[in-house]
Amino acid sequence: MEGKLSHAAKKLTSSPIQELSHLAQRTNAINLAEGFPDFAAPPHIKNAAVSAIHSDFNQYRHVQGICDQLTKMVKEMHGLDIDPLMDIAICCGQTEAFAAAIFATIDPGDEVILFDPSYETYKGCVTMARGVPVYVPLDPPLWTLDPSKLLRSFTERTKAIVLNSPHNPTGKVFTKEELEIIAGVCCTRNYLAITDEVYEHMTFDNQKHISLVSFPGMQERTIITSSLSKTFSVTGWRVGWAIAPAILASAIRNIHVIITDSAPAPFQEAALTALRSPHQYFESLRRDYQSKRDYIIRLLGGVGFKIQFIPQGSFFLFAELPDSCHLSDVEFVKKLILEAGVVAVPGQGFFHTKLSSNEVSSVSCCYQKRYIRFAFCKSDATLAAVSERLGKLLDAAGHLALQ
Amino acid sequence: MSTASTTENESNTQHQEKSNSEGRIFNQMTFLAMKHGAIDLGRGFPNFDGPEFVKEAAIQAIRDGKNQYARGCGVPDLNIAIAERFKKDTGLVVDPDEAVTVTTGCTEAITATILGLINPGDEVILFAPFFDHYNTALSKAGAKLKTITLHPPDFPVPIEELKCTISKNTRVILINTPHNPTGKMFTREELNSIASLCIENDVLVFSDEVYDKLALDMEHISIASLPGMFERTVTMNSLGKTFSLTGWKIGWAIAPPHLTWGLRRAHSLITCSTCIPLHWAAAAALRAPDSFFAELKRDYIAKRDILMKGLKEVGFKVFPPSGTFFVSVDHTPFGLENDIAFVDYLVKEVGVVAIPCSIFYMNPEDGKNLVRFAFCKDEETLRAAVERMKDKLRK
Repeated sequence: MEGKLSHAAKKLTSSPIQELSHLAQRTNAINLAEGFPDFAAPPHIKNAAVSAIHSDFNQYRHVQGICDQLTKMVKEMHGLDIDPLMDIAICCGQTEAFAAAIFATIDPGDEVILFDPSYETYKGCVTMARGVPVYVPLDPPLWTLDPSKLLRSFTERTKAIVLNSPHNPTGKVFTKEELEIIAGVCCTRNYLAITDEVYEHMTFDNQKHISLVSFPGMQERTIITSSLSKTFSVTGWRVGWAIAPAILASAIRNIHVIITDSAPAPFQEAALTALRSPHQYFESLRRDYQSKRDYIIRLLGGVGFKIQFIPQGSFFLFAELPDSCHLSDVEFVKKLILEAGVVAVPGQGFFHTKLSSNEVSSVSCCYQKRYIRFAFCKSDATLAAVSERLGKLLDAAGHLALQ
Repeated sequence: MSTASTTENESNTQHQEKSNSEGRIFNQMTFLAMKHGAIDLGRGFPNFDGPEFVKEAAIQAIRDGKNQYARGCGVPDLNIAIAERFKKDTGLVVDPDEAVTVTTGCTEAITATILGLINPGDEVILFAPFFDHYNTALSKAGAKLKTITLHPPDFPVPIEELKCTISKNTRVILINTPHNPTGKMFTREELNSIASLCIENDVLVFSDEVYDKLALDMEHISIASLPGMFERTVTMNSLGKTFSLTGWKIGWAIAPPHLTWGLRRAHSLITCSTCIPLHWAAAAALRAPDSFFAELKRDYIAKRDILMKGLKEVGFKVFPPSGTFFVSVDHTPFGLENDIAFVDYLVKEVGVVAIPCSIFYMNPEDGKNLVRFAFCKDEETLRAAVERMKDKLRK
């Protein structure tokens, strides 16, 4: 009965991240793979959800206050004016906002630029809408954008560029110069930009998150997607949004109505409380995650991982296997689960560009199989436990002995 | 009223005004209800809330920290509760992990099933009138629609017409029982006929059964339970209507593994996961004792009877529903041109909201004599609506 699947569904593969999570659960491994915290969500937000359920906010609902608050935040963060009545679609997580944005804008055959390595869901959505994903590789070890590679990727079928910054899996925060290049290209070639800014409140070392939308000429062609999930440690609540010029936002709302029709009502109420959190909340979020980042870099760097790029945002570290390790990323992670009781994500699942034979010979050992993504959105106790488990597997030189 | 909530009400009203021009008629009718102070018997959501024990379970889940991503197809205990419920209702034993997928309401169950299993150009048979979501989602997937109309007063399935319409080119028949907007329930005989045609022509069935616990006059039958049908059926349902929690958006699709695989892939892309704390509450809800469902049925029978009696006395031609919380009526005794004109008059001059049924047909002309009232409201509201209509509706 596989013949009963649609063409689109047949092309999709299930999430390797989720499969590893299941293995981790079965072996009771410490999960540094999937990107959700193991510490509690902020009490004031949970209380707001509880209060909403008690107050009978349990039928179909649209909480306009979310849009009003997002309007204020966009003004404060990016200096832009948006219309809270027209320019926002409340969705079930950034996942739905992104899927709706793709379905609202991409026709069969349209090409969509994705920067590689990239979060696996973008490709799936584009394919499901019968668009064509086109990958532009970021260059290791610092994941820089080479403008010539970007320019080479365009054809007359190019419709949109997807930008995820702060970036999963590398933790890169696109620089102002890189954003200017992307914005310039969008404006001169009349492309849409669809951004994923879920980690917008997690930037480190005093870096500010700059949204592509804030560049000249970009507001009229950019769809921002984001959510509560990462900022407020409520990845299971499913409240997100798309912000776009009115015509696009309206189309996105129409698609949202087809997909789910309504985001969960009591959690929309709680979202309002969350978004109204004082500045101190966001400051301490940043501080806490920065210290977790620093901890995990010291830990993994100390046991031999090559960490040439310090993440500037998100809660992921994309660490390279030591030169002395001849295992592939997948082989290494399997050993890490079975021998150290720690799970992370092999990086190859994030890469989609095939290197030409010239490139393969000139880069060492095909870097696409040399990276491991570690999530550090975990409590200090969990990170300390990771340190202890890894400590048991060190050789005389103090390096991980997983050959 | 504090300034804050006044402002919020104003901005909600403004939002309603803007959303008039887009999307569904339901938004428009709700807006008109607010604007004219009308009694809203339009959209299908209750004006009373869900049971305390279910809400408490949700609150406990939030407090217990169940606020992060869980398995995309559903928290295991909810999948088990859904499978248990399905077994109780149909006798079918399904694997909770392989055959059950939790979705954002039945809305997403339908969309994920359609996106996961329909190819552009696939032929799908629908019975009109149909919930307007189906054709929107099917069009998005590029399906070719063929509709077969059900006619009042009893809306029987025209089996001969179905035999002529179905062929080996048909991919799916989509059924909804108990049926929105007519309240019809597909009989065992009708389902058996549909089943044998599907088996003969190798056709899938997508069955929307959200109102299965509002089977008021007869037993609800899931087509998946008929011989040879489970392997080709996706059965969809949700918490919302049964438990008066329409805003929670917890639904599910039950299908054999070879169909589940497709709808799960679509689900993993369009939403990935549903609201996790509510999964735990949903599991508690589905394990409610028989007395809960018996009382639900009794309540809705009483509400239905109040509204039906009232509508007959007002002068409508009423088509008694066997299930759901909707009743469709013929408004032509009042002499208005069509259903749109009638609902407009009803909200502005009489102060009651109904939904025009022409939106539930491919050809609006086919539905212009019918409007739909919802009776998922407390009895006082239903009586007040009837009084307004007796007072102000003139033939």
